[in-house]
Amino acid sequence: MSHIKLDLEAALRTFIRNKSAVFWTIAFPCVMILLFGAIFSQSSTKYDLYMQNQDQINGKATYWSTTIVNVLNSTKAFNIHLLDASINATDYAITNRISSLLIIPSGFNDTANMALFTHGSSTANVTLVYDQSTSSASIVRSIVTSVIDRFNFQLSKGVEYLNVEDLAIAPKPFSYIDFFLPGMIGMTAMTTSIFTSVSISARFKENGVFHKLATTPLKRYEWILSRTIYNVLVSYLGMGVMIILGIAFFSMKMTINPISLIMVAMASLMFSGVGMIIARFVKDPDAADAAANAITFPMMFLSGSFFPLSQMPQFLQAIAQVLPLTYVNEGLRATMIFGQSQQAILNTVLITVLGLLFIVVGSWITKWEED
Amino acid sequence: MWGIDLNNDAAIEVEGLSKRYGDLMAVNGISFTVNKGEIFAFLGPNGAGKTTTVEMLECLRKPTGGKAYVLGYDISKDGENIKKRTGILPQDFATYDRLTVKETIQYFAGIFDSHPDIDGLIKQVDLEDKKDTLFRNLSGGLKQRLGIAVALVNDPELIFLDEPTAGLDPKARHVVWNLIEEFHKQGKTVFLTTHYMEEAETLADRVGIIHNGNIVALDTADRLISEYGKKNLLILKRTSSKAVPTIEKLGVKANFDGGDVKVPLNHAVAVSEILHELSKTNVHFDELQLKRSSLEDVFLNLTGESLGENDEI
Repeated sequence: MSHIKLDLEAALRTFIRNKSAVFWTIAFPCVMILLFGAIFSQSSTKYDLYMQNQDQINGKATYWSTTIVNVLNSTKAFNIHLLDASINATDYAITNRISSLLIIPSGFNDTANMALFTHGSSTANVTLVYDQSTSSASIVRSIVTSVIDRFNFQLSKGVEYLNVEDLAIAPKPFSYIDFFLPGMIGMTAMTTSIFTSVSISARFKENGVFHKLATTPLKRYEWILSRTIYNVLVSYLGMGVMIILGIAFFSMKMTINPISLIMVAMASLMFSGVGMIIARFVKDPDAADAAANAITFPMMFLSGSFFPLSQMPQFLQAIAQVLPLTYVNEGLRATMIFGQSQQAILNTVLITVLGLLFIVVGSWITKWEED
Repeated sequence: MWGIDLNNDAAIEVEGLSKRYGDLMAVNGISFTVNKGEIFAFLGPNGAGKTTTVEMLECLRKPTGGKAYVLGYDISKDGENIKKRTGILPQDFATYDRLTVKETIQYFAGIFDSHPDIDGLIKQVDLEDKKDTLFRNLSGGLKQRLGIAVALVNDPELIFLDEPTAGLDPKARHVVWNLIEEFHKQGKTVFLTTHYMEEAETLADRVGIIHNGNIVALDTADRLISEYGKKNLLILKRTSSKAVPTIEKLGVKANFDGGDVKVPLNHAVAVSEILHELSKTNVHFDELQLKRSSLEDVFLNLTGESLGENDEI
């Protein structure tokens, strides 16, 4: 135990004296949180939707057409831009490269009433003009369709009027930064642990530090434990910085509980083991960094650190299911943001098991000296 | 005990030790004994098997065959005891680069669970004015001195020094030599590997010459030189060929070569006799050189190869 403490003190002292390491450990999460937070937290998920209401009587919009506009507006998903009823809206959309345009045709109010009286034997139509080459158009289309479906559903149940709350397919009460921060914590635990583990192992092997340590009574497992605890502490440092920034700049509300701390510790343990395994198969420090990049870079994008998995194509979602960082990210979100402690515990148990497995394999194959 | 009678005076006893890497026999069944309190040097060119041997004795590599005992402990079973009782300076000593000299010694003292006089050790290796300097900011010579201090934290009976002065400048090399002589005076046993013949000749009580994994000779440097070296050579620089018949009258052979006369000396004639004979003639010379045979000559004679010392001592 005293050897572990001794080596941990040496590692921390070395870290504190390495100004660039300290700077990047703190600066990287700062930059990521502030940058992504600023980009996504303000505009959140609002899309531009152009609308033309042709259903007017004496220059005044009819009851049902106004209701449609109000309902769409109440979703808070759109920045609605109303076009003059007299222009050719389709031409306008093409000329001005508008991705989504909803046209409420003349006579909509009458056909809607007719549909109500005939219990749906006729329908009232609106037309959505959209540019299918833009990604936002399909999202707008799905939201508008959902609103109209819900609208129809409510009408068929005999509800006369739909208020905002009832109709809300509005964005969930969590903003992007709520989603992003736990992903960043998971990603930081991964990069810190893998890069530290890989580069230290490769460097110490090359410059002879392992050789010297092998001549002493220090046990390999003592050294590995010390370095794993070090990785956990550095991951906690990154986590702390991000949480402070999230609260200070984006007024985030989150829960920091033992589960989230255990999850980060176990993730560090697991990725330290992954780093040791990588280090075993590379010859020099440069190759080690390249190998660490090759592992971490795809993982950070495929494990839902930055974007929800549901936004990725099916085959990538399938890949995400076998990446351990996915379970770290989702576990952290579950405990810190969504308060789903059951899923968080489940993920933490999974990561603990994987962590122990990787660290045991990593320790077993890490050699200070070749026989 | 597999053919080894453990000798209480022996610090290291080796019998038929070998190490194979694939098809390469790096160490080929060598046997030798290092006595307590002596400086023993393993001399050989790079790749001769010196480091492989020393690393087997340090319990860093497993032997393919043979037996060895270090301080009475079997290297194949008692690695932990050997590590606790020996001091080791590996080739190109390296440690955590952002610890200071003092912190490095404290760290290793902690690892050995020992409580040495840290300031005393720093003084012993003459690093007092560098004790707060980070390892990464030390020169090569200072790093080796720190490595030696680290090798002493557990007050070892036996110190392994693997190429302790390789790559050092002459001044730094002499500082390290002085330290090694200090250990000798303290009664410690030193096992040294080197490819510098002068280092072995200056420091070692006994020298083992290793070539292609085999010990080709083992004795004191003087005895090795007298047995396997060339004769000492007297050189008269920038002189006349008339000196040759004058010297040969004394029964020794002399050669005139490029303005110099070279005389291989033997026991039959003393240098003073040659000079006396020359003084009777009018043969003059600008300079007199006496070239002593060295371990380099011994090595050349035994192996047909040069030691391959690239750097000047």
